Amino acid sequence: MTKTKRYHPLLILFNLWKLVKNSIFFVIYLFVIKADSESNFVIYGRIIFFLAFGITLVSIILKWFTHKYELDDRSFHLYKGFLSKSERTIPFSKIQNVNRHTSLLHRIFKVTSTNFETGMRGEEAAVKFEVISQIEADRIEAHITSASRHELTTINSNNDNIELSSKMDTENANSNRTIHFKPTKSDILKASFTSLSFFILFPLIGSFYFKINEIFHVEEEVEGIFMSIMSSGWMMTIIIIVLVIISATFGIVRTFLKYGKYQISSDHDRIYITKGVIEETTFSISKEKVQAIEIKQSLMKRLLGLAEVKLTSAGSLSSGEDTLEINSLYPFLPVKRAYKMVSEILPSYEVTTKMTRLPRKSLWVRLFKPSWIWIIATAVLFYFKPSILKVEQAWWILSAVLFILIAVSRLLDFCNTRYILNDQFIQFKTGSLTTSLFVSKRDKIIEVKVTRNIVQQMVGLASIGTINRAKPVHHAGVDDVPLELAASLYQWYMKRRNEIKVE
Amino acid sequence: MYSQTNAPQKRLSKDAVKVWLISEMIMNLIGFMIIGVLLYLDYRFSWKEWIGWILIGITMIAVLGAVWSFINPFLLYKNWRYDVDEEFLQLKSGVLYEEHQLVPMTKIQSVATKQGPLLRKYGLCSISIETMGSSHTIPALPKDVAIKLRNQIAHYAKIKEVES
Repeated sequence: MTKTKRYHPLLILFNLWKLVKNSIFFVIYLFVIKADSESNFVIYGRIIFFLAFGITLVSIILKWFTHKYELDDRSFHLYKGFLSKSERTIPFSKIQNVNRHTSLLHRIFKVTSTNFETGMRGEEAAVKFEVISQIEADRIEAHITSASRHELTTINSNNDNIELSSKMDTENANSNRTIHFKPTKSDILKASFTSLSFFILFPLIGSFYFKINEIFHVEEEVEGIFMSIMSSGWMMTIIIIVLVIISATFGIVRTFLKYGKYQISSDHDRIYITKGVIEETTFSISKEKVQAIEIKQSLMKRLLGLAEVKLTSAGSLSSGEDTLEINSLYPFLPVKRAYKMVSEILPSYEVTTKMTRLPRKSLWVRLFKPSWIWIIATAVLFYFKPSILKVEQAWWILSAVLFILIAVSRLLDFCNTRYILNDQFIQFKTGSLTTSLFVSKRDKIIEVKVTRNIVQQMVGLASIGTINRAKPVHHAGVDDVPLELAASLYQWYMKRRNEIKVE
Repeated sequence: MYSQTNAPQKRLSKDAVKVWLISEMIMNLIGFMIIGVLLYLDYRFSWKEWIGWILIGITMIAVLGAVWSFINPFLLYKNWRYDVDEEFLQLKSGVLYEEHQLVPMTKIQSVATKQGPLLRKYGLCSISIETMGSSHTIPALPKDVAIKLRNQIAHYAKIKEVES
């Protein structure tokens, strides 16, 4: 239990900074570009600008005086309002994940911003501290963890048939975090190679050139320089080598800034993912609140044996302005390491590599399914019959190429698709070039459905689908599985009644 | 085979077919009127040629749709099943595209009965159910059955599961 508190006084400064940042555009427009203008529009614009600026300034200060927060054993209490007052209570048990973001400005003042995200819809779904001292943020987080742990144990002791064992030895759980992963130099090199960030420099230079050209019209000079470079062989070699080196360094530095200080750690109840060298972002989630796991592999990652593990949470995943994928464990983990890490940090999850493949007949169903993209594209091509590179028959060549591409992607998808109902887990893998393995638990799935179109009915196949809590809700599923699996999916899901705890 | 063991059994009201037929008829009438006006305008102001082709295409689709809309209600009624028990709501519908859903009661957020003018004429109600992840509708139940079912679902859904 704490006293009612105001937010950190630096909040005023941060809001002022934001206000200045937002008004720069108007200032430049009204007082620099249109400095000599006498038109009504500009004059009234200036008056409105001053009014708005003043009102915002006053409201920032008033807000700081009137907004308060309080924590008790079970919930947050947030107070706000100057004339019409409001009080909001958010129980700790509804908090799904905690996102902390420390920008450069935050770092200078040794503060941070923290969002406690709930699964609710709408604007007020999170308890936000835009500026908070790091000590206070840690304190609140620790308070919530201990409070919700206390609550869980009381619920558990009310019910008899629940495995208490995992939560019993929680007394000394605090402060002994185990670090599971920190990228080494070779990890970062691999990451920058996989993400193709070596090449990021070229589009940057390109866009830079076009912007300069727009202002100064340097096209002819550049062409001249380019021609003289092209004419001498050794000059070109040197320039290419220099460019490659610069580009590679740039790519590595960029990857380092993004993934350099990555750290995955966990204690008894929670998982923590920290990243960022200059701006630090931390995502933390209680282990019980992980709704599902997704292991994603792009083609590049599959070739290099890397994978990305994502934790699905029912709360929002954006932190402040940037919506980086903060719920992902390191995106460039070696596959084996990824599987091992999942079992390390989430012992209650079980990922098995033994999965069932689709029956042969579903390949035929998939191959013969009409592809709307192909039909429409072919119809358009047939109508216009464009000749590309003076080839008259281009339209049917294009159509045939598209047809083959679609067929190959379906074949790949068929080969990659696996599924299994493994005790209380459901697990399936789908995708053609980029594959994704989805694992969830029976009690985390909030709905299941089975659909069968007419062809599937004839050959005895079905499509299964599940819904998980997330923001927005997460739909997952496999097409063209045997009908027996669909039937056992129902049986399997019905057994949920033995697992859920009722309030 | 698979569906026999645990498929839901309860059916919709028989009047549902009439309601759907009437509403489809009204929709078709409005649709054809709009198409007629467009065709007339096309003829009167001699619009571009391709617009005429598109209009003819739309008319053909609309005619096929109208024919289908006189068959569909019977099939829909024949294949719509639902069931509730203490733990699950089951919904099953469709012939050409069969859909079978299983919704835990604890995840249901709200349930409501609704009645439009056509449904009221036949003393029917539809039930709409909102869950955490989606929304479902049971169309056309007799009013007393609908209200009973609504209350029953509301009662079952009151039991809350510990969210984690």
